[in-house]
Amino acid sequence: MSDEWPMPAGPLTGGCQCGAVRFRAEALHHNPHVCYCRMCQKATGNLFAALVGVRLEHLTWARGTPARFRSSEHVDRGFCPNCGTPLFYQHDESDRVGMSIGAFDEPHRISLRWQMGSEGKHPSMFDLGEVESLGTTEIADGEEATTAIRLSNNQHPDHDTVDWTPTRSTQP
Amino acid sequence: MSTVFAGGCQCGAVRYRVDGPVRFASICNCRMCQKALGNLFGAWAEFDADIVWTRGAPTQFRSSMKVQRGFCSQCGTPLTYQWGDGQPSLTIGSFDHPNEIVPTGELARDNRHPIVGHGDQLVAQEIGKTDEERDILAVLHSFQHPDRDTNRWPANGGRQ
Repeated sequence: MSDEWPMPAGPLTGGCQCGAVRFRAEALHHNPHVCYCRMCQKATGNLFAALVGVRLEHLTWARGTPARFRSSEHVDRGFCPNCGTPLFYQHDESDRVGMSIGAFDEPHRISLRWQMGSEGKHPSMFDLGEVESLGTTEIADGEEATTAIRLSNNQHPDHDTVDWTPTRSTQP
Repeated sequence: MSTVFAGGCQCGAVRYRVDGPVRFASICNCRMCQKALGNLFGAWAEFDADIVWTRGAPTQFRSSMKVQRGFCSQCGTPLTYQWGDGQPSLTIGSFDHPNEIVPTGELARDNRHPIVGHGDQLVAQEIGKTDEERDILAVLHSFQHPDRDTNRWPANGGRQ
């Protein structure tokens, strides 16, 4: 497997939506990919999981501890117990963790390289060129709505914070 | 004629049903959806009919004053986006047959991850070269809920 793929230099930080769990990756593995398999779809509630490997010795949980669900005999899927953000895929015998690309503070810096699990590939994926664009969030939802979100946003910012109190979730 | 759509989280603790048709299906690239889902975008389906929670119910995180996001507290699967007290949208990937729901709209295109819309540039990876092959091979021992309703769950196993 070639390692000739442009990867952003570490360290890179990230975390869940509410900020209860934060992590730091000293370096990324050269395998950013999407996986369409049904396990990744169902775990993330999405059309695919987007993951990038981080070697165990390069990964630090800077705040909080993820919850884990044993999705199969040798695999854990990590998520924030307070807000649910899917955070990782981890095989027992692997020396690295597949971290959710969207959980990084700057996901745009991570260039996708591979696609896999094509048996589960959603028909709309991955060329969305024909999907109608509703414009920016401001245009689609309206200025009043997006202003309301901005002023009351409980999402952790896309950088580390010294003091942060996550908004608590509500059990059913 | 109305089609019934069913789905749920990965572990099966939360299950739902909703009568079709789908009113609108879309992806949203906004940073709130990216971060909530740990992904490049959220993919959502909206219905006119009420959602029936047939097993369990989502835990709710209030991501902003107007919006609550529901997920399974046992396995983390993101399930809903709810504006105010309106009808929640459901994550397309949580449906038992997600391929039946194709997004026709896109929000926040200005915040697209660079690969979105250019997926054909990705190299298809053969099974056997990455960690995920092991998960696929381990499917026979999967603890994932099947893509259909079940009378009893966990039948054997479940959360470790």
